[in-house]
Amino acid sequence: MKKEPSPSSSKAASSSSLSSASAVKQQNGKKRKTSPTSKPEKREFYLGTFLVGNAWSTSKGSGYVKPGDTICVERESPDEARPSKSDTKGKGKGKQATLFSMLKPQVKGGAAKKAKANTIVRLTNERGFEFGRLPQDISSWVSKLLDHDIITFKGSTMVECEVPLRTGSDLVVSLSVYIRPSAFKRYEASSSESSTPKFWSNEGAETEHEERLRERKTALRQLFERLDIKPSSGSNADFDEASYTSSKKENVARPTKATPLVNDVDADENEEEILSENELDVIYKRAQANDAAMDEMEPSSEFALTLRPYQKQALHWMYSRETGAASARASHSLHPLWAEYMFPPNPSNGLIDLTVDEIPFYYNTHSGELSLDFPRAENLCKGGILAYVYLLPCLYEILGMGKTIMVSSLIQTNRNYTEEELAGPSADQRQNKKKQLKLDAAFRPIKSKQTSRRSRATLIVAPASLLDQWCSELQRSSKKGSLNAFVWHGQNRDDLETMVDTNDVSDVVITSYGTLAAEHARLEKSSKNVPIFDIEWFRVVLDEAHNCKSRTSKTAKAVFDLKAGRRWALTGTPIVNRLEDLYSLLKFLDFTPWSEHSFFRSIVTLPFLNHEPKAIEVVQVILESVLLRREKSMRDKDGKKIVDLPSKEVVVEELQFTSLERSIYDSLYRVAKTKFDSLTASGMVGKRYTHILAMLMRLRRAVLHPSLVLEKNENEQRSTENIDVNELIKQFDANTENGQNESYAQTVIEGLQEDEECPICFYVMEEPMIIPECFHKSCKDCILTYLLKLSEKGEDGHCPTCRQGPVAEDQLLEVVRDRQRLRQTSVGIEPERQPNEEGQSNGVGFTIRKNDFKSSTKLNALVQNLRRLQDQDPCFRAVVFSQFTSFLDLIEIALQRENLEWYRLDGSTEIKKRHQAIAEFNKPSRKPKIFMLSLKAGGVGLNLTAANHVFMMDCWWNSAIEQQAIDRVHRIGQEKTVFVKHFIIAETIEGRILQIQKRKAAIVKEAFKGQGSTDSESLENLKIMFEE
Amino acid sequence: MAALPKRIIKETERLNKEAPDGITAEPHEDNLRYFDVTIKGPGGSPFEGGTFKLELFLPEDYPMAPPKVRFLTKIYHPNIDRLGRICLDILKDKWSPALQIRTVLLSIQALLSSPNPDDPLATDVAKHYKENEKEAIAQSQEWTRKYAVAG
Repeated sequence: MKKEPSPSSSKAASSSSLSSASAVKQQNGKKRKTSPTSKPEKREFYLGTFLVGNAWSTSKGSGYVKPGDTICVERESPDEARPSKSDTKGKGKGKQATLFSMLKPQVKGGAAKKAKANTIVRLTNERGFEFGRLPQDISSWVSKLLDHDIITFKGSTMVECEVPLRTGSDLVVSLSVYIRPSAFKRYEASSSESSTPKFWSNEGAETEHEERLRERKTALRQLFERLDIKPSSGSNADFDEASYTSSKKENVARPTKATPLVNDVDADENEEEILSENELDVIYKRAQANDAAMDEMEPSSEFALTLRPYQKQALHWMYSRETGAASARASHSLHPLWAEYMFPPNPSNGLIDLTVDEIPFYYNTHSGELSLDFPRAENLCKGGILAYVYLLPCLYEILGMGKTIMVSSLIQTNRNYTEEELAGPSADQRQNKKKQLKLDAAFRPIKSKQTSRRSRATLIVAPASLLDQWCSELQRSSKKGSLNAFVWHGQNRDDLETMVDTNDVSDVVITSYGTLAAEHARLEKSSKNVPIFDIEWFRVVLDEAHNCKSRTSKTAKAVFDLKAGRRWALTGTPIVNRLEDLYSLLKFLDFTPWSEHSFFRSIVTLPFLNHEPKAIEVVQVILESVLLRREKSMRDKDGKKIVDLPSKEVVVEELQFTSLERSIYDSLYRVAKTKFDSLTASGMVGKRYTHILAMLMRLRRAVLHPSLVLEKNENEQRSTENIDVNELIKQFDANTENGQNESYAQTVIEGLQEDEECPICFYVMEEPMIIPECFHKSCKDCILTYLLKLSEKGEDGHCPTCRQGPVAEDQLLEVVRDRQRLRQTSVGIEPERQPNEEGQSNGVGFTIRKNDFKSSTKLNALVQNLRRLQDQDPCFRAVVFSQFTSFLDLIEIALQRENLEWYRLDGSTEIKKRHQAIAEFNKPSRKPKIFMLSLKAGGVGLNLTAANHVFMMDCWWNSAIEQQAIDRVHRIGQEKTVFVKHFIIAETIEGRILQIQKRKAAIVKEAFKGQGSTDSESLENLKIMFEE
Repeated sequence: MAALPKRIIKETERLNKEAPDGITAEPHEDNLRYFDVTIKGPGGSPFEGGTFKLELFLPEDYPMAPPKVRFLTKIYHPNIDRLGRICLDILKDKWSPALQIRTVLLSIQALLSSPNPDDPLATDVAKHYKENEKEAIAQSQEWTRKYAVAG
């Protein structure tokens, strides 16, 4: 059962009422009979007075009542005995019957029903004679309040009536409302049904008890409205209570409606709105308001690195969260479900005593509870969310905040269970109980050993690509021998139990979400113990915790079943698109009451869907206590930026298609546009949405390289192997009988090692091509241009030097040099001729291959940029991103041809290889290295700060994704200026993508998820795509 | 006009530095694609002793397209017409970007040494050379003295 951080112990209520009761209490002795059950020391608070103009008389004659008379308000029917005159307060028979109908079957059903409908509220004179009744619209809720023992009426007066009375005539009465002490009792305590969940449960229909709670709440709300009582301060002050009662709010007020929805949330998740940037901003603002003033904490001496001030703050916060020390971040927030009200001064005797302090009281707008104590927003879970990234574009400066370091320092600093914990039942046993209740023990054979073994190890769950990085980072940040971490992942994972158990030497176990989900499947299938879920971890840390944002996913379920005393979720995006995203994290953290989905949904999700500001506010308060958010642009208490990263220069290089590429692209575009136009005309865009997306995808490929869209009918056998130089010479000799040529071919090949001039452009040949027939050379561009010119004239290709032919483009031999030495850009007309440095191993310094690889504008641009880079910095490191692995394939060939050392990581790369690749790439070396990444696989987690050049080969719909990718390089640890280059082809779809990116980046991402969604935003985006 | 390609600059430079025997080529200051050229009549040819002026222009797509060359000095030669136009295959369809100003001018110099009346441009001169070579050569020498010798 959920424990609601809640208000009032009745003890507190009574003590506070004792302290200041006397002033108000004096003057109401007279009407005591309406409320004789209340003990005198329990104070009744004046709440306000309201006029009822349409009460009506039930009697005839004079002497019963006249204007100015004091009147009483009673509830029970005159036919029934008035056992004590007392009882307006409440044990209204009808209600009683309802309440206990289940327990007391002897009460006739019919009577109960009738009683339920009874809302009669009687007006009596001081002698107890009934002379009239309240009108139905008032009595409907007044009766409830009286029944629930919440209010009483004292000092009410008859304002106007006919004398003598006539039956049915109008009465105008003034009613003064006092709130009874019993109202502040915890409501469920009085009920025998206390095992029923207090909040709208996920167990199905509303119980009687819940119905009563709801009645009470509705009645209270109407009372507040009638008395014009508004929330006075606290987080709810700016929240319009009046609107709360309006129909808009009904969804919150009608949890019965919400309950059935809970079971099939996924079905209607699509309807949920995506948070706008502003909303997210607002949400987070609160969560970090106090951060600058937070205390700092030194890490344990075992920790090998030095923390920055903001990291020390974070450590302090995390440590406090774990040890349960007083809130590191002062939490003065009112619990989100509560609103604060002030008791109005009691006007009795016509005097208002201004010296009396205003007394606040609190009203739970969700449950209808009342309290005199300040209901503080708090939580019981040990752990929290470490958000290190902003979620939406524009503000993306945030990755690389050193979350690994933070976790490492926390592991080092807080390693032991508190004595209290060791003494008491493990946190986990408590949890177990709860789980058993929920998960229905019948379905799961009870495990032999119910007491799970407690480990002092921390379990880290991370995406597979990051496992090794975690491991090495943890080692790096710890003094030697002080921390044992191992990766538990892959096919041959060892017996976790023995590893963790036997000698208890492991401090950290690192595993992947995939492994966890697989283990969980094992758990669900068999009755066997599955160690990872059996061990109670000292601490569980989820890296990239948004991996389990969908609470119904296997991963999420597995994560929820982990046992641990301390829980942390690290994520760049606690809320990806929807407030619901947050739920899984709260669930993992076991952050009650929010970890109950139905509760979360009715308090947060549904109100948000109804555009209620309250929802955002609730989330704010939740986050305030549980989330520490770090972003690069945040400043510490001295106003310094908490992270000082080197600057980043972003350049967009606009390229022009070659005419061939242009014609290919244009024809594709025309087809797509025609299709789109006809679909628009017939209103079918929505239905064929995915089809259009596919066409767009083709266009985006066409921009990169024509062969990505062309039919692969020709044999695409590209030679990736180099041609043996000696073999080539031999071949040439065989073809020419002239003995002289033997040395000639040799000379030609040898000459390649020098900077030779192209006979056509007179430049030193950057990429010499050899014409196989005659061994004449030319640079690539020149010979290709010449051959093209000849073919335009309808002539066969031939060598420009000796006219030998025919020469075909793909027969040319390409010479790829090892770009080893610093090339001096020749400024003068006469280039300095330098002998090439000795090529390494093969002693040749170049390789020769057939020119059967067709490049593209973008590819050429990349290659040229890389060459330039190499000239400037012979050992540069660059990262190349594309979202198309097929394009990466082509880039791979291009880099190979350039003889550049490259590494590649995409979705299909094995974990081990990923690790290797990253390690190799980061290794210092005199050679340039290039890392190719698919945008999706490489967008998160990786640390590639060795590089400081980034090339984005294509643009993504959502610039935030691109930004995350760039931040692989531009993050803590980066010491140089980061240069980012986007390649964009002019007058293509890419320009429009940029346009959309700018237009509304957050929405776009959603719009193009392509689930057949047809909201206007995505259609709008499509129109941009095909605009003229 | 677009910036001058490096090739043209280099060619100019090299023509200056190591000019072929009997040939000069100077670009105009205001148009570096336009050259004033002189070719000395080769020894043993009817044009010996003369210095012939030519103009040479490098078109926009040079070296993919051949340079345009024309004699300014009147010359009596079967392959050169009255307007100074030259009939030389490498200046037409046999052009190759591997050729240069230097090679073109050397070819023209060679053409002076060995007139080819079988592929005439100036038909009357060609006819003259074919029918009475001696007389035609004398005519060439005469013209050389008359037009191609300074002073």
